[in-house]
Amino acid sequence: MAKFEAGMESMIEMFIYETTGLIEQLDNILMNTEASSSFEEDDINAIFRIMHTIKGSAAMMGLEALSKFAHGIEDMFYVIREEKPVINDFTALINLLLQASDIMKNEMEVIQDDNADASDLSEQIKHIEDYAASVKAGGTEAPAAPSQEDPVAPVPAPVSAPAPTPEPVKAAAPVVQEQSSDNELTIVKVYFDDDCKMENLRAFQVVENIQADCEKLEYIPSDIETNSESAKIIIENGFIIKFTAASDISTKAVIAEIADTPNVKSYEVMTEIPGIAAGEPVSIRVFFEEDCKMENLRALLVINNIQYQCTELEYIPSDIESNSESCKAIIENGFTINFSADDPEAVIKTVETTPNVASYEILAAENSLSPAIQPVPKTQTTPEVPKMDIQSTPAAEQTVPASLSAAEKDAIGTTKAVEKLNNQIGKSSSGASNKQSLISVNLNKLDTLLDLVGEIVITEAMVTSNPDLKGMKLDNFQKAARQLRKLNSELQDTVMSIRMVPLSGAFNKMTRIVRDMKVKLNKDVDLIFEGEETEVDKSIIDQLNDPLMHMVRNSMDHGIEDSVEKRIAAGKPAKGKITLAAYNASGEVIITITDDGEGLDAQKILAKAENQGILTKPANEYTDKEIYHLIMLPGFSTNDVVTEFSGRGVGMDVVRQNIEKIGGSVSVDSKFGYGSVFTIKIPLSLSIVDGMEISVGDSIFTIPINSIKESFKVRPNQLVKDTSGREMIMIRGEVHPLIRLYDLYGLESKYTDLNDGIVIHVEADGRFACMFADELIGEQQVVVKPWAQLLNNFGVKSHGMTGCSILGDGSITIILDVATIIGGTN
Amino acid sequence: MAVDKMPQSGAKKTMSDGVEILWFNIDDVIYGIEIEYINEIIGIDKTTVIPNIPDYIKGVINIRGKVVPVISIRKRFGVEEVPYDDRTCIIVLEFDGGLQQVGVIVDRVQEVVVVDHDLITQTPQYQNVNANRYIKNIIENGTDEAKLLLDCEKLIWE
Repeated sequence: MAKFEAGMESMIEMFIYETTGLIEQLDNILMNTEASSSFEEDDINAIFRIMHTIKGSAAMMGLEALSKFAHGIEDMFYVIREEKPVINDFTALINLLLQASDIMKNEMEVIQDDNADASDLSEQIKHIEDYAASVKAGGTEAPAAPSQEDPVAPVPAPVSAPAPTPEPVKAAAPVVQEQSSDNELTIVKVYFDDDCKMENLRAFQVVENIQADCEKLEYIPSDIETNSESAKIIIENGFIIKFTAASDISTKAVIAEIADTPNVKSYEVMTEIPGIAAGEPVSIRVFFEEDCKMENLRALLVINNIQYQCTELEYIPSDIESNSESCKAIIENGFTINFSADDPEAVIKTVETTPNVASYEILAAENSLSPAIQPVPKTQTTPEVPKMDIQSTPAAEQTVPASLSAAEKDAIGTTKAVEKLNNQIGKSSSGASNKQSLISVNLNKLDTLLDLVGEIVITEAMVTSNPDLKGMKLDNFQKAARQLRKLNSELQDTVMSIRMVPLSGAFNKMTRIVRDMKVKLNKDVDLIFEGEETEVDKSIIDQLNDPLMHMVRNSMDHGIEDSVEKRIAAGKPAKGKITLAAYNASGEVIITITDDGEGLDAQKILAKAENQGILTKPANEYTDKEIYHLIMLPGFSTNDVVTEFSGRGVGMDVVRQNIEKIGGSVSVDSKFGYGSVFTIKIPLSLSIVDGMEISVGDSIFTIPINSIKESFKVRPNQLVKDTSGREMIMIRGEVHPLIRLYDLYGLESKYTDLNDGIVIHVEADGRFACMFADELIGEQQVVVKPWAQLLNNFGVKSHGMTGCSILGDGSITIILDVATIIGGTN
Repeated sequence: MAVDKMPQSGAKKTMSDGVEILWFNIDDVIYGIEIEYINEIIGIDKTTVIPNIPDYIKGVINIRGKVVPVISIRKRFGVEEVPYDDRTCIIVLEFDGGLQQVGVIVDRVQEVVVVDHDLITQTPQYQNVNANRYIKNIIENGTDEAKLLLDCEKLIWE
């Protein structure tokens, strides 16, 4: 329990969710790279980013070992990214990384287990470090210190990386600072023409003009392209640009370029900013990553980290520890820290490296609490400020490409330029918002939302068909009511669609399983996905992982031939093929797992089943299809030897049970010598059923449409009785048992004479019956609500009632389970 | 690292360190339910009959989209049922932190009173044998007749 400090519990769930997602992402990348046998630059960046994030959040959770572990891998990728060493044994590297991913997955489980202590990963860390060292040593062709020869190398991250995120930039920051160049860091303060308006956009244009010629470029205020308020600051304090000119261009040329930009009134070149003197009071304002949640706790972490470095320390808001409301203040105004320290730079460094810190700015030392930025570069601004600048601008830097450099030469009219700028800015901000367009929501909230929507639909019916309105002429009301109905049904569809998740996540997990089994079983197999974008309700996906895994393992282990020779002898390609396919078909999702292996040996299965005594009729009466289905009975396994992966006789049985639990079914088909197909049918959503409403006395029942064959009025000659007096209905020469619902459930009914009521012919699991009810009310989609625990205690389900639902008028209908009812009456 | 501490579940304590109890009548006897179990009190509504369950469970009702089973406390106590009138109401109890709700049909509710711990005595031995099973405590206020505090867990789940 003592793994986490008190108060962290609520963050654990978020941490585990995020980290598990990242590890999955890592696995996917590794699978892809292994297939292509080389690291793309994107992949390296992605892995680097993933490890960096894991490192950061693990450190924040106090999981030092995991953080160090992730750091080890991050370091290794830093080497790979920066030095591009020649990797001799690619498979070894992938294996190492997969192991690392397993270790981290294992850690996630350990964290969730209250009784286990966080693992000591020092051995694994050492392993990674050793490997990283060998990568470094092995990569002799890469320059040992590339930054000397190629000064541009470390910079591209913020400018040219396809989707730079704060993390890589942050990591690269120290490199940027160390980097040497012929040109010195120059600071220029620019003033624009009085009344030229939109100073921030003019400033942006200056930045655009000189960007190409600068190796390093920062400016204050940094949010010019997003914050029109920054115009005021520019008017008051001027626009401060700090840059290092590129090696092939002189500093003077850049300054000239600045001066030539339209609307620039004057500029002054300033000297290098001195650092902060020891012991001097410093005030910095910290901003955290957007959506990082619990900003007050993150702020507290910052304070904890720096408190021993500081001689004096105070912060605003001061009640972060006790008041969760302080989050809002931090989000809005930032978190302000006033401190004095012997080594202020070190403190700032610590703040900078604290996880989730997105940016910070140094405020005026004296006037520390003033919210205005104090860009007077005497003592307050430090070389670290760039971090924030670079981070907040990459989107703009990417999306404002050559188009403006053309504009710059044209000396176009300013209005035009500004327009253009605006367009670019619009583009860049919409580009940035893409990243934030996904949020994760607690499923419970979605359930509540769904309930509410159901409630609205009911209320709508209560209003629009209110008895008080009867007999009134209400043209306008009806029009409005129609509109309401339309919107409500749209709302309902949207809520349902929110819960839908593509199957690709579940499919992708199989890649790893196949990969591991390929190595262990020494079989070469291609795993192919089809239709993985098919969507299923979230609650179903969660139940689908285990069955899919079992089935893919089965196909690998039992399906694909043991040796390549066997395959070639059978005229098949040496490489096996397993296909996972998914598609929608009439309100159901169908998933097939196809392999081109040996196929099922019907005779062998039958013999085995006979031995195990699980046959229910004479062996020669079994059709092939029935034989195949035997493998899904409990305790059946054709594998003679129990392997690590299958053969214990639980696999297919469990698969079937799990699938049936979510209302689906599994079937098998096979051709001996050519392969097998397993087909899973699952409902789109657990919670919605297409049903037929029927009435019995005062009660309303819902029979799922897919179990109804037909409904009809009985003719007297259709009714027959067997010897024990049981009623049967004759339909087209076949007799089916008659179930009088009022009898079955002991209800008062309107009709007891068969001629008055209606008979519904139903089917489930290949068995038929006829149900007698008073009337058909109509077809409707209903949202299934599970029974309350109290009712489950009395076994309502075993009486053929799956659940209930609320109808448009607020009344409750009972959803019947045809299979149970037929089973119970036979 | 202290986040807001949510109040722990358990009897809601008032300043006088008593227990808040809702009182209701069945005929002349007054029964009480601790307020910590009570989610709300609603008027009697049409119940949907669920077949093949004990008859003291009158069925289910729809409370804002939730399907909640309802029991008749008279049937539960083996007392003859009376027709519903405009004072008949359903006390909605909740268990499992609100996950499970069960309605209890009672003739009329009276008031919520804070009862001091000292007034709650432990040994219930009282008239109605059937109801006796579900009584947790007797509350004596010295003057008039004793009131009976029900054991909600037993009332619903046993």
